[in-house]
Amino acid sequence: MERTMPQAVPLGQMEVFQALQRLHMIIFSQNVSPCGKFLAAGNNYGQIAIFSLSAALSSEAKEESKKPMVTFQAHDGPVYSMVSTDRHLLSAGDGEVKAWLWAEILKKGCKELWRRQPPYRTSLEVPEINALLLVPKENSLILAGGDCQLHTMDLETGTFTRALWGHTDYIHCLALRERSPEVLSGGEDGAVRLWDLRTAKEVQTIEVYKHEECSRPHNGRWIGCLATDSDWMVCGGGPALTLWHLRSSTPTTVFPMRAPQKHVTFYQDLVLTAAGNSCRVDVFTNLGYRAFSLSF
Amino acid sequence: MSSESSKKRKPKVIRSDGAPAEGKRNRSDTEQEGKYYSEEAEVDLRDPGRDYELYKYTCQELQRLMAEIQDLKSRGGKDVAVEIEDRKIQSCVHFMTLKKLNRLAHIRLKKGRDQTHEAKQKVDAYHLQLQNLLYEVMHLQKEITKCLEFKSKHEEIDLVSLEEFYKEAPPDISKVEVTMGDPHQQTLARLDWELEQRKRLAEKYRECLSNKEKILKEIEVKKEYLSSLQPRLNSIMQASLPVQEYLFMPFDQAHKQYETARHLPPPLYVLFVQATAYGQACDKTLSVAIEGSVDEAKALFKPPEDSQDDESDSDAEEEQTTKRRRPTLGVQLDDKRKEMLKRHPLSVMLDLRCKDDSVLHLTFYYLMNLNIMTVKAKVTTATELVTPISAGDLLSPDSVLSCLYPGDHGKKTPNPANQYQFDKVGILTLRDYVLDLGHPYLWVQKLGGLHFPKEQPQHTVITDHSLSASHMETTMKLLKTRVQSRLALHKQFASLEHGIVPVTSDCQYLFPAKVVSRLVKWVTIAHEDYTELHFTKDIMEAGLAGDTNLYYMALVERGTAKLQAAVVLNPGYSSIPPIFQLCLNWKGEKTNNNDDNIRAMESEVNVCYKELCGHWPGHQLLTNQLQRLCVLLDVYLETESHDDSVEGPKEFPQEKMCLRLLRGPSRMKPFKYNHPQGFFSHR
Repeated sequence: MERTMPQAVPLGQMEVFQALQRLHMIIFSQNVSPCGKFLAAGNNYGQIAIFSLSAALSSEAKEESKKPMVTFQAHDGPVYSMVSTDRHLLSAGDGEVKAWLWAEILKKGCKELWRRQPPYRTSLEVPEINALLLVPKENSLILAGGDCQLHTMDLETGTFTRALWGHTDYIHCLALRERSPEVLSGGEDGAVRLWDLRTAKEVQTIEVYKHEECSRPHNGRWIGCLATDSDWMVCGGGPALTLWHLRSSTPTTVFPMRAPQKHVTFYQDLVLTAAGNSCRVDVFTNLGYRAFSLSF
Repeated sequence: MSSESSKKRKPKVIRSDGAPAEGKRNRSDTEQEGKYYSEEAEVDLRDPGRDYELYKYTCQELQRLMAEIQDLKSRGGKDVAVEIEDRKIQSCVHFMTLKKLNRLAHIRLKKGRDQTHEAKQKVDAYHLQLQNLLYEVMHLQKEITKCLEFKSKHEEIDLVSLEEFYKEAPPDISKVEVTMGDPHQQTLARLDWELEQRKRLAEKYRECLSNKEKILKEIEVKKEYLSSLQPRLNSIMQASLPVQEYLFMPFDQAHKQYETARHLPPPLYVLFVQATAYGQACDKTLSVAIEGSVDEAKALFKPPEDSQDDESDSDAEEEQTTKRRRPTLGVQLDDKRKEMLKRHPLSVMLDLRCKDDSVLHLTFYYLMNLNIMTVKAKVTTATELVTPISAGDLLSPDSVLSCLYPGDHGKKTPNPANQYQFDKVGILTLRDYVLDLGHPYLWVQKLGGLHFPKEQPQHTVITDHSLSASHMETTMKLLKTRVQSRLALHKQFASLEHGIVPVTSDCQYLFPAKVVSRLVKWVTIAHEDYTELHFTKDIMEAGLAGDTNLYYMALVERGTAKLQAAVVLNPGYSSIPPIFQLCLNWKGEKTNNNDDNIRAMESEVNVCYKELCGHWPGHQLLTNQLQRLCVLLDVYLETESHDDSVEGPKEFPQEKMCLRLLRGPSRMKPFKYNHPQGFFSHR
């Protein structure tokens, strides 16, 4: 597709700076509001932008409808993850988790409702929080990130109840196994660990990179994405995207994709996955072949 | 005959018969001579009524006689003749009577007429008299009214009022006793007084006139004296020139400048005035001068009729010559173009002196037909500059002032009306002539007070002093920063071409002590070459790489790793940062499309540039960015995780102190350098 170069507009210092910022922006996290009308996105500069989905998707959408309704500086560092309860938007990045009221978030000068920092061991560098997970049954929030631990925070009282440690390198992603309830965490150390929330102990460990079918040493061993369906788990990253049977801890299907996967979800019987460096969202049935791809 | 004779005799007889009547008449006319017979007198005596009766009787007798005669004649006989004769005689007598009566009637008539005539004459005479008298009466009446209306001249004179008169007049004139009672005397006195006064005033008037003459003469004398002063003052001024120079107060020079300035066209004049004012008030490093020929400028103002006549003459001549010589259309067009682009013979020169004694020379011209100003720039330095190859465009007169304000590239004419003029003579754009004429930047127009609003195009654009004044200070400051930044770059380029990144001592804290990667190449590339590069598409699409920028290619190497950096240098450096796009060749080609860490490196240099500016005015930005690039390459290479499947040691052992090698979902390397601890961390 040939793209025509736009005319060089006379740019002052401010405009050049903003253009450069946009060029180097990475959006790490996004979340839809409980009412479904708004989309919140967090970027690497620590800003959160709220878009109006209803306006952007409507038939009369113009260029302006695709711009954010409001943008504010939420964190000092990048906003790595966001989750939504029915009333709050929780965002986390450089070591803190902050809560915002969805009802207030469109107003100017919105302030966070509260902010919490889990107790870290090191004080030299504040570790980032890469993943947030809501456990609705317990009304608690699990944070995991740079300090290689999973912290559980009670949403009502705001206290940190548990700290689960076992990973040897920082944690990338979390997934909830509803039935047990268990939490799965994947990390830079290449292992997917299962934790029992009631006993606060590690139940199972799967070292993905040790399995030959899926390991790709040139990419590294890190696990970037996790999704679980209680019996099944899909994980990928450095190693290839693989479907595992959890009970037996065996890989059943290896999906043939070259690039390291960044996001994966189960959707009914399908697996949807997106790699960060390509423009495609691949859809697989769990029989292992790629059904089709959605592409930008 | 006998009747005739009897008639003749009758009058005599009657005369004699009438003797007694005559006698009576003689008695009444005793004055007259009594011998004459006057029938007129007889008429007076006779009664007309009785004459009438006589007449009637006579007529009857005649009729009777005639009838008798007739009878007799008809009867005939001898007696008849005698009786006829008798009757004839009687008829003759009667005829005589009739004649007399006729005469008497005539006489009476005549008398009556005469009397009437006389009476009429009398009446006429009276009538005339009456008329004469009436006429005289009227005349007299008129005279009387005239006399009554007569205003003597003395009443027209505005005499002083009575009280004043009695107050002021001396007693011998006012003669109070006499005049009080007699108005005639009073008036006479007043008139006398009036005459006196007037005489006195006339005297005074003559005196004043003579005074005035005297004073006028004095004034003349003084004027002459003053006019003789002017040449003396001039000579004094001349004599004081050396003193002025000694004391550094060049009044004379300034005066001459102002003289020349009067011949400047309005925009150049505005520029001159504002620049001089600004230079005197705020900035001693600015000096203003006027160059060019004043005579030519004066020649421009010849009266238009002459020039029009000349034109028409020359046109006629031209036509003739064209018929003879037939020059090409191109030559004619060329002449027209030259005419359109003609410059005013005078130009204003501004010299801006910077701290390091380098000078920016700006020459401002005015294009008369297009009503725009242009500028030519030149930078001279205190010491001779050796120009490194890549710095060719930095100080070139064509581009040193490009985009002083964003977007002001000076290649297009700012006056929208010029386009129509250009179409007539086939000029496409001013860009082709810019090298010769100078650049028509927008700030130049503003300094000359010319404003060309896009929304409402105007027929005549008037120069505005306030526009110039409001832009003067900012523009001068921008010009100075521009020159200084370009000179700084110039020096830096010289060093960069030798592979040394010149980092000043006060910026050393931004970088670790040991930097292994080296800059091996620094060249300038063309805009087209930049657009061809495969890793610069993002910058192109964002509209940040126009043709007014300068483009360079830097090459940083360490071991087998080669990092290419394409640099976009905006003319507004250093307030607008240079933009880097990277392409790393090490174990494959990595650009920001396929490696997030390359993207992070670009971000470190492009977005986080404010830390690298160094102290104001930030001329160290480019060199600091290049140094940081070397440091980033070091970190990238050293923190690359070792691939266990490949044999052999790591090419680059980690020497940098990093807290963590990877962080975040995007697994970034630690590119941020922390001073003074000296370790690397993540942003």
